[in-house]
Amino acid sequence: MAGVEASTESAYAVQYLDGFINKTLHLHITDGRMFVGQMKCTDNERNIILAMTHEYRQPSRADVKLAAERHEKAGMPGNVKVDMKKRFLGLVVVPGQYITKMEVEG
Amino acid sequence: MPDDDLADEASQLTIDGDGNNEINFTAKRLAQEARQTLSFGGGSGRGIRDVTEEFAAAAKQLQPGQLVKDEYFTLFEAVGALEIMDPKMDSGYVLPGDSLEPDFDVCKGLPAGEVLWIMDELLRLTVVWHDGYPLSQTIFTSLHVDRLLSPDNRAPYGFSYGDTTLRVMTTEERLVHLVLRAYCIALVKSCALVLHTIQSQNFYEEEDFVTHLFGRELLPEIGADDAVKLIDEAVSVVEVAGVDEAMRAALFERLQFARTYLSLLVDESTDWTTLTATRLLAETHNLAQALPKAFSDKVQRQLATSTPPRPMIAISWDEALQRWMSMCADIIEAERLTDFDVCQSPHGLQRAIWAFAYREPQPNTFARAYLQTLLFASEQIAEGMAFFDLMLADIRDLVLAGDVLADPHSFLIEIPADPRHKCSRVVEAFMDKVFDEYMNIYRMICQNRCRIRRTFSQSIVILDRLETEAMRADAELSSITPGTILPNEGGSKEVGLNPLTSWVKYYKLQIMGWSIQLGFETGIYLPHELCMMYWYLMVFAQRKRKLLEHVGRFLVARRKHLASSRSASQDVEAAASREWLVVLHRQADFTESLSCALWQLCELLTTLEIVKPPKRDHAREQLLYDVRMKSYLGIAHEPIPTLEEYKSAQQSIPSIDETCEGINRAIANAKSCLVVLKKTTPQQGKYVGTEEQWRREIKQLETTCVAVAVQTSQLRRVADKHGKQSAGREHGLKGLVEVSIPSPGSRYHGWWVVPQIKERKA
Repeated sequence: MAGVEASTESAYAVQYLDGFINKTLHLHITDGRMFVGQMKCTDNERNIILAMTHEYRQPSRADVKLAAERHEKAGMPGNVKVDMKKRFLGLVVVPGQYITKMEVEG
Repeated sequence: MPDDDLADEASQLTIDGDGNNEINFTAKRLAQEARQTLSFGGGSGRGIRDVTEEFAAAAKQLQPGQLVKDEYFTLFEAVGALEIMDPKMDSGYVLPGDSLEPDFDVCKGLPAGEVLWIMDELLRLTVVWHDGYPLSQTIFTSLHVDRLLSPDNRAPYGFSYGDTTLRVMTTEERLVHLVLRAYCIALVKSCALVLHTIQSQNFYEEEDFVTHLFGRELLPEIGADDAVKLIDEAVSVVEVAGVDEAMRAALFERLQFARTYLSLLVDESTDWTTLTATRLLAETHNLAQALPKAFSDKVQRQLATSTPPRPMIAISWDEALQRWMSMCADIIEAERLTDFDVCQSPHGLQRAIWAFAYREPQPNTFARAYLQTLLFASEQIAEGMAFFDLMLADIRDLVLAGDVLADPHSFLIEIPADPRHKCSRVVEAFMDKVFDEYMNIYRMICQNRCRIRRTFSQSIVILDRLETEAMRADAELSSITPGTILPNEGGSKEVGLNPLTSWVKYYKLQIMGWSIQLGFETGIYLPHELCMMYWYLMVFAQRKRKLLEHVGRFLVARRKHLASSRSASQDVEAAASREWLVVLHRQADFTESLSCALWQLCELLTTLEIVKPPKRDHAREQLLYDVRMKSYLGIAHEPIPTLEEYKSAQQSIPSIDETCEGINRAIANAKSCLVVLKKTTPQQGKYVGTEEQWRREIKQLETTCVAVAVQTSQLRRVADKHGKQSAGREHGLKGLVEVSIPSPGSRYHGWWVVPQIKERKA
């Protein structure tokens, strides 16, 4: 009866994964970037296709320095806040092997 | 918090279910659902939860190749997805050992030579951009420009965000922060204006030009006049800067150049010839000291883009200057070709736009958009010549010269009972219907070559439908004022002029012919298809010739009438139209003769098995025909000859010798047409403003005729040598002769393909 078990099992899995379709995912990858987009497709290697994707990247040292300079020159008090760098990419496929963390919105 | 405990507890379940995947998975899901439920209670505001483990576990359950996907998402779309972490696809990927951002400080002062080099490099990249490459591969690769356009930069857009005026700058810093910055800003504003011009006209994204800004804005908070002011300030900085005279002059030259370019884009009335004076730019370029570090394709990592990373484009400075000059020349020519005199005649204007399209090298997208702006930006084509007047003049020139029906005065009559008033309303209603398609003819010739062909092919059926409208309008007109009736050519029955129908039909046939000839030029026909296409071109030209004869007979009748009524201006108009019809008739006759000659030549090459269709196992003749002739099959009024009719025309061709004689006769006739056309004045032939192109084209056509005759005699000679000239064609010359089809660039005229025949060496 192993076959039956396996199929119910995978049916569960499909049902579970199906719940993510068109949900907004946050995929963190090995090089530190994060991709935020709507999930369109996945497979057994956890390759994920995201639509309407934005890429987020930690600000570089130069960015922080620039922001700090500006902060200082403007004579503002307190800590410097530097936003993550964001850009639009559109449709991407993130290979499962690079994904370090997955989050879902809502 | 007890809620947290619950979630923890649920996730604990996963630890034990080692061997049993199902339980394991269910447990994970439970844990996750628990967390989800909790998050609605008092969890984080955005409701983000970590699903790494559960997702991975679930994905593992899938079979290899099994997909879970949105039902509306197709694999076809998936192919277009950019693969993250693939160096060839992912523009954000940083190679091991490489840095994310280029190591260059844009705030640092630079020696004048390097500033000069950056300016020239930017001009070079501007040229490449005009050529159709995206900003991300051209101007945006400048790190200085990149800093100005950075999303967190604000007006007044400096390289450094802070206030630099507080301290005294060095000369090198001034050159960067005041001079180079002004140049960059002027250039970026110029880009914005070029984009505006292109985007307000017809063009094809990617095919012609990439308008994508990659998520950047082109300095929205400052205007072109602010940029001009900055340039003026920069000029005064250079005046007192500690650089030598030659360098100072070189910098002046560039600032002046950027200023002129910008102001030309703002105000159309100024003169582009000033920008072709690039001699000084060229002469002082050797003062530039290269600073390649000031440009980097790494900026693409920060740009919004759905394309893979692409390299920067390399063309030389000299080539860039050359292309720049040719763009300016195109714009100057666009002005000249749309001047008042040219625009007075619709056909003259069409000829002018064709002449523009066939400039070498082909005008770029901006120049073509510029021409469209000149033509269509206002409601009139020229001073006092509204689009409506242009179209009415066209109808008059071609079919109704000297006739009260198309007389502009008739349109002003307000007495409802006057037949002229009634007729004018009918003509007007008809013109309204045809208006868009008619104006399209002018606009389409401003597009790239492939698009001209394509839109013309689509226009054929539309014109055919408009022919129905024209027939209706003609019937209405003759019910108001019965027009002249003449015996039919054969004498059997009588016919009316049907002016509007004839006019639409003329354009339909014209465009049918153009679409085939543009097909030759864009190389869409296989060698064995040339035969059929030439035959159809001949048929279309023949129909056009007959149509012109029909119109001409009515014009002659009208002139007799006008001579008796002594209306001088109408008579002059009719006389001009007569001359014009003679020219058109000759042109149609020429096309018919030359295509007849080439049809026979190609046919001979096919039956002698020198040109052979490719082997296609499943192809059926009728289906191939249907696909090839698709644009013409929808024609309802006078449908094109069927495949059967075409084939029976083929069979009537006699022996090699006789065919060659036939070709020579056709060529002789074509040449005699050219002799007449050569003697035609610009007024008669309506080529005012394009005299040079008219002469050049006739020369090209003459050469084409000679080439056909030469190739024919070549074929005959080989056949002679093998004693086959009078024999039937079934023996063939297979293996004895080879044929090559010259590419569009190496023809005497791009619209005429003459197969090159060579005897094969044994």
